[in-house]
Amino acid sequence: MFLSSALKVNCRTMPLTRLLEISSILNAKRQFSSIQQGNKFTRDYKQYLQLSNGEVGSYFHDVPLKLDRSCKTVNMIVEVPRWSNAKFEISKELDYNPIVQDTKKGKVRFVHNIFPYHGYIHNYGALPQTWEDPNQTSVGSLKGDNDPLDCCEIGSDVLETGSVLEVKILGSLALIDDGELDWKVIAINVNDPLATEINNLNDVEDKLPGILNATREWFRNYKIPAGKPPNEFAFDGAYKDVHETIDTIQECNDAWKSLISSKQVDGAPSTKRAGEGVKIKPDIKPAQEIPAEVHKWSYVEARLDNCS
Amino acid sequence: MVYTTRQIGAKNTLDYRVFIEDDGKPVSPFHDIPLYADEEKQIFNMVVEIPRWTNAKLEITKEEDLNPIIQDTKKGKLRYVRNCFPHHGYIHNYGAFPQTWEDPNQIHPETKAVGDNDPLDVLEIGETIGYTGQVKQVKVLGIMALLDEGETDWKIITIDINDPLAPKLNDIEDVEKYFPGLLRATNEWFRIYKIPDGKPENQFAFSGEAKNKKYALDIIRETHESWKQLISGKAPDNKGIALVNTTVSDSPTYSPSIASKIPAASPQPDGPIDKSVDKWFFISGSA
Repeated sequence: MFLSSALKVNCRTMPLTRLLEISSILNAKRQFSSIQQGNKFTRDYKQYLQLSNGEVGSYFHDVPLKLDRSCKTVNMIVEVPRWSNAKFEISKELDYNPIVQDTKKGKVRFVHNIFPYHGYIHNYGALPQTWEDPNQTSVGSLKGDNDPLDCCEIGSDVLETGSVLEVKILGSLALIDDGELDWKVIAINVNDPLATEINNLNDVEDKLPGILNATREWFRNYKIPAGKPPNEFAFDGAYKDVHETIDTIQECNDAWKSLISSKQVDGAPSTKRAGEGVKIKPDIKPAQEIPAEVHKWSYVEARLDNCS
Repeated sequence: MVYTTRQIGAKNTLDYRVFIEDDGKPVSPFHDIPLYADEEKQIFNMVVEIPRWTNAKLEITKEEDLNPIIQDTKKGKLRYVRNCFPHHGYIHNYGAFPQTWEDPNQIHPETKAVGDNDPLDVLEIGETIGYTGQVKQVKVLGIMALLDEGETDWKIITIDINDPLAPKLNDIEDVEKYFPGLLRATNEWFRIYKIPDGKPENQFAFSGEAKNKKYALDIIRETHESWKQLISGKAPDNKGIALVNTTVSDSPTYSPSIASKIPAASPQPDGPIDKSVDKWFFISGSA
């Protein structure tokens, strides 16, 4: 215990990285696993968080945020692996907030492939114990989107749905999605080989040239093939730096704290969480085949040209 | 003709082989599948080697009888192409035209480089992802002349005749109209794809410009003629290519009985792909 907190002060700088990598992998493995039910890519599919004592937990409420202001790290939950299309997300409605596939008009939802990209271009997910409060306005008059904060992990590994990992905070982009504020935190897995060399957005541009512009373009355009207009951004699409992002995360963590300490109201996320020793059984069924049209490439420029 | 596949072993292993069958009998995708599906309508048969958005470098082998599709190796290890940002794996359904050969004994007058000793490479741009060993009917739209390590390596641009956009695509300019940015991305992809392995950027002939359908059809005819020389045993040097076939009855290597020597199907579940294949390489100044 003492050793691990002593090392923590070093924020995983070399040469302790490897040792800490091992300890963090072991920690994550020991703490969290998942329980899957139903056929993946159907409406029935659910992936629940399981705590080390075997009881079911909530990805939203029971994974600690672990915001470390000095190391600039935080915990993240992966919902959508890079280069895939199925829109998995932590359910707000269901008790214990399992990861489910979003639906639209009763059908499971897949994001379109926006040329030249394939599916999501990051390991996409959420920061636990955060909430973008729809009752509060910030950044002008924008209301939160009622979800946990979204996070884009830019490391080299493709991460699985339900992974819980520690990431280094690098910046954020203020998307306005259907009129609601929807921050996208940019982060990198602390265990990525590049993590020690990337501390801010300039380092991101230096080591992964093009990824920040691609990220902005992707979020601007990703709903166009579904017939929606391009999304907009607050701050003219400028990225916020690490410190401002930490403040945003803190605010959303505060909003989450009041969410879980107040009475459940209509439309607010389910706040049921571990503590009663509830256990559920896995019931994995074969994955449904992904419909062929999901593999289509959408050429958004052409679409805009046709409209003008 | 109904083409099916006969899989041996597990994908992502050295044992993996995909033979093409015609009515259940193994045939060579290099020599037996006719180049033209309908010569009058200029519809071609294409053999898919690599599905879009995958990394395993699968190709029709020149070394084995009936030329099954196998995974290329380098120093005994399975070869995967790197992901060069913003791309993921191959960005087309990638494959070859049967009965064509880029003759390494001939210098092309315009590219000034010899052929790469392979069947013609084909890029299919339709919306559906193909599968290894698939034989699809395609329409030719244009061509690019990659100079890969000093050899001419033509890339024919095609679309599946069953794609919803196929009726609207008739020549190279239609590609830019309906797939804006794809030709540029294709050019970039082939220039940079070997850079992560420490190789220099590839070059394109014709300043990287794609040539039109007519030019492509001429190259297809030329390489089809080269293949005819090859299969008839008249090529100055056949480079040890396995020429045994089951349909070209006037060729010296015609041997319908070879089909009975091909192993029975024994498909296995896919082998794992090393995590390193998932890495995205960022090549500065490429985009």
